[in-house]
Parts: sequence; structure tokens; C-alpha cells
Amino acid sequence: MMPFSGRKDGLSVSEALPDRSLFTLVAMMSFLAALTLAGATGARALSARWAGGAAQLVTVQVPDPDQPLKPTSNKKDPTGPSRAETVLADLNTLPPGTVVHRLDKEELARLLEPWLGEADNSALPLPAIIRIRLPDRTQVPNDLEQTLTAHVPGTIVEHNASWGERLKALANSLLACAGLALLTVGGIATLVTGLATRAGLSTRRDIIEILHGLGASDGYIAGRFAWRTAMLGLGGSLAGTVLAMVPLLVLFRMAAPFANISFQSDTLLLPDWKTLQNVIPTDMLVAFAALPFAAAFICWITTQSMVRLWLRRLP
Amino acid sequence: MIRLENVSWRRSKKQNTQVLSDLSFSIPQGGFRWLLGPSGAGKSSLLSLLHLETLPTEGRMLLLGKPVSKAEKRAHFVRLRQRIGMVHQDYKLIPGLSVADNVALPLRLQKRPEDEIQDEIQAILKWVGLGERLNAPAASLSGGEQQRTAIARAIIHRPGLILADEPTNALEESQAHRLLDMFAELSDMGTTMVVATHNEALIRRLERPALYLERGRLVRDEGAAP
Ligand SMILES: Nc1ncnc2c1ncn2[C@@H]1O[C@H](COP(=O)(O)OP(=O)(O)O)[C@@H](O)[C@H]1O
Ligand SMILES: [Mg+2]
Repeated sequence: MMPFSGRKDGLSVSEALPDRSLFTLVAMMSFLAALTLAGATGARALSARWAGGAAQLVTVQVPDPDQPLKPTSNKKDPTGPSRAETVLADLNTLPPGTVVHRLDKEELARLLEPWLGEADNSALPLPAIIRIRLPDRTQVPNDLEQTLTAHVPGTIVEHNASWGERLKALANSLLACAGLALLTVGGIATLVTGLATRAGLSTRRDIIEILHGLGASDGYIAGRFAWRTAMLGLGGSLAGTVLAMVPLLVLFRMAAPFANISFQSDTLLLPDWKTLQNVIPTDMLVAFAALPFAAAFICWITTQSMVRLWLRRLP
Repeated sequence: MIRLENVSWRRSKKQNTQVLSDLSFSIPQGGFRWLLGPSGAGKSSLLSLLHLETLPTEGRMLLLGKPVSKAEKRAHFVRLRQRIGMVHQDYKLIPGLSVADNVALPLRLQKRPEDEIQDEIQAILKWVGLGERLNAPAASLSGGEQQRTAIARAIIHRPGLILADEPTNALEESQAHRLLDMFAELSDMGTTMVVATHNEALIRRLERPALYLERGRLVRDEGAAP
């Protein structure tokens, strides 16, 4: 007895050109999709980071910090607290757990070094810089700057949150772009699969009509085509995703110092799998693993609908 | 059982060429009808209508006792087609498949067990004289071999209705006579048969009622009750 391998119905004749081009096209689109996903993962991490920490950070600048709050005629006999001390006292009213730190001379010098050099800058009239970190889930009071300037004129409150907000907005719009790019890639995949299916239908038209006449159901015929394109989509997408890992790994290697991860061996171009796990974010790995299946599904559903629609011309 | 009531058929809606006009006849289960008429009369068109390759433009039709109309579900037509065997004038074999795989199609589409299918193939191909050509690609067959393969495919699943369009025109006389004997036997066993032909000798050999078509009209129905 001959083993029954595959379904011998004339539809598995798969050497037609459109099939192979579908594999290549899906591979190229998955390559694009994988890169987009990597970008999206980066943007999402940035967005999360900025949404997390930045809102809690405030910097306060007090010009002429050592001047007394109320100028008196007698400069040698200052009365009352200095301007900086007044601001620091005001900051005591912030929620408990707040860390208030006035930069000392050395810290200030280090901060200014890139601009002023290592020279002795004690002669320069430097403002006092006060860094504030609020505890989690608290907010900088909206009227902080108002209160401080009313009390100590010239005080500048730099709310890092506004920077954070802007960066977060940037990250979010990057995410939106990535989403749009993925949608577009999906749309092109649908189109390409549709074209390949149409080509397959027209070259196998006679066979389909014969099978239909012999009592093949729409589900059977559509299923035969859909499995074929789904498998091509799966394979093509797998190839494209794996290929996309190459430029991404190079990128991650370059980004690794920033990400606080060091490679054991610098001589290796590709790190081993254990290192890889640490380098590539888990959610991105999950997205990469899902990509071939998403591609296969797009191919499958497109072909199913197209073939079923096409079969409507036969009763 | 087949019953047509005032059935008309146009090839397409746009072209106003009526191919079949106002056909009314019926064939009981197990009945045999020759389908006769000059070339272009509409014999092949009527057979394709009975094979559900197309639906009547007008009129009512019953096939194997079941109604045939656009209102029916597609699965209904699929089930009906699986109970019909058709020998096309141009055989309609799948060229990329072997003789055995072409003949196995009706059974495989009905998901019969593969060992059962193999037995059926052996038996039926031996019967049509293609026992040695089992694995030959359909594309390599002569006209007569193709026709015998098509006949084997039309009867392997024991359909309740067999339609044949000039099924002997590529066969030698002895083969044609064997086929005719088998058709008679199948009809006696309860299979409804409609066979279109030009071959006068065949008709004389198997005397059964005929349906005469001319320019798409039924001009004589020998099976009609007087
Ligand atoms: N593919 C076709 N396209 C257009 N007209 C056709 C086609 N095939 C047949 N016809 C026409 O339809 C009519 C019926 O043809 P057919 O059913 O093949 O007759 P028969 O089988 O009795 O010779 C004829 O007038 C024929 O010219
Ligand atoms: Mg004809």
C-alpha cells in the first residue's frame, strides 16, 4: 500500500513562482516589522522611565544666596536669615520624605566645570542650587514657585517634570509611529498575500473547478490554499525576524554600556544565548516570537476570505 | 429521482442567449435516459445543469429528490455533488496527478479510510483495463485511457446519479460495449443515468428511453407517461 503523504488533489503543486515570491516578501516585511518592534520597545522603555522618575525631581536656583533676605543699610551686620536659608526653610513644608539637598561648593564646581574650567571660581557670584526629590506618588505643589519668589525674589524653580512630560510625549509619538508602521506593514502583507492568492487561483482555476465538481467544499479548497500561504508566511516571517536580529544585536552591543550591561567577551561579534537574554528586553523577545505567527495568521485569513469569495462564482 | 419543471438556462445574464428553454421532464430513481440531439442542441449544457455546475435561470428542479435553487445553502450542493458521478466530454482529469490519484479524488474528498480507497482503486482500474497504468501521470494518457480514467472516477464512489457526456467517443467498440453493459447493470441496481451520445449503434444496443433536444428545447421525451 502506498503511504498517503500529503493530500493528492493537484493543489499542492507548489512550484509556481508566486509562492516563492510570497516567502521573500513576507521575510522582508517581517524584517521591517521586527526593527519597528525594537524601536517601539525602546520608545516604550523611555516613556515609562520618564513617566516614572522625572515628575519627582525639582531644581531650585537662588541667586545671591548669601545675601540677607531683607537688605539693611549696614552690610556688615546682616540681620535675619540669608536668602538661601529662607528658601530652605520654606522647603520644609514639602511632604514628609522629601529629600532636599543644597549642592556644596565642590558639587557646584563639578557641575560648572565643563563651562568654567577648573579655575578657582569662588569670586564668581554663583547661585545656590537646591535639588529636591519628592517621595513617590506625591506632586510638587503647583504654587511652589509662586510662594518662593514672593518670599525670596529671583528664585527660579525648574520643574524637571515638564522636561519629562515633553520626552514622554516624544516617546509616545514614536510609539504611535511604530504602531502606524506596523499597521502599514500588516496592510502590505495582506495585499501581497492577496495578490499571491489571486495568482494561485488563476493558475489552478481548472483544478479548483474540477474539485468543486467532485464535491469539494469551500472550506476544503480555501483551507488548502490558506495553509499553503500560512506556512509560507510563517517561514518567511521566521527568516525575516531572525535576519533582523543581526543589526539589532549590533545596536544592542553599542547601547549595552548605556544599558549597564557588559559583555563577557568583547571579541565575539554575536554574544551567546545567555548573554542575549540579558541584553534583549523580554517583551521584545515575546513580540519577536509572536511575529511569525501574526504573519502566518494574516496570510491565512487573507487567503481564506479571498478563496471563499472567489468560489462564490461557482454554485 | 430527477424532476425539471419549466427550466430555462442562460449562459450569462448579460448575453441574452438562452441555451436551454422551458425543459420539463422527470426520471425515476434507477431510470436510464439517452440524451440525444444534434451538435449544439444543449446536451452538455443540460448535463452541467444536472451536475450542479450551474443553476437554472428559471424554473424548478429536483435532483436525487432534493430541491435545487439559489435559496439552498452551499453545503447542500456540496452534499448533492458528492452523490453524482460525471464523465465530462473533455474528461477533466487533473494532469499533475496519477491515474490512481485522479480516480481516488471522490473518495478522498469524502474522507474515506485510505486502505479502503486503495482497494477500490485497484478493483475499478482493473475493471476499466487500467490496472497496469495505476501510477501513470494523467497527462501521459491516450484519449481512450483518459476517458476510462474519467469513467472510473465517476463511478468509484457509487453515486446515486451518473451523468456521462459522450462517454464512448474515444473508446474501442469492445470497450464501449463493456461500458454499456455496466451502465445497464448500474441502472438496474438503482442508479439514475443520463448519457449523451451521437453513437447510433450504442442506442440500438441498449434500448432505453431517450430525451431529444433541439436548439435548447425538449422535442421528444420517450420516458414520459403517455
Ligand atoms: N463556452 C461557450 N461559450 C459560449 N457558447 C457556448 C459555449 N459552449 C457551448 N456554447 C453554445 O451553447 C449551445 C449549447 O451547447 P452544448 O450544450 O455544448 O451543446 P451540445 O453538447 O448538445 O453540442 C450551443 O449553441 C453552443 O454553440
Ligand atoms: Mg456537447
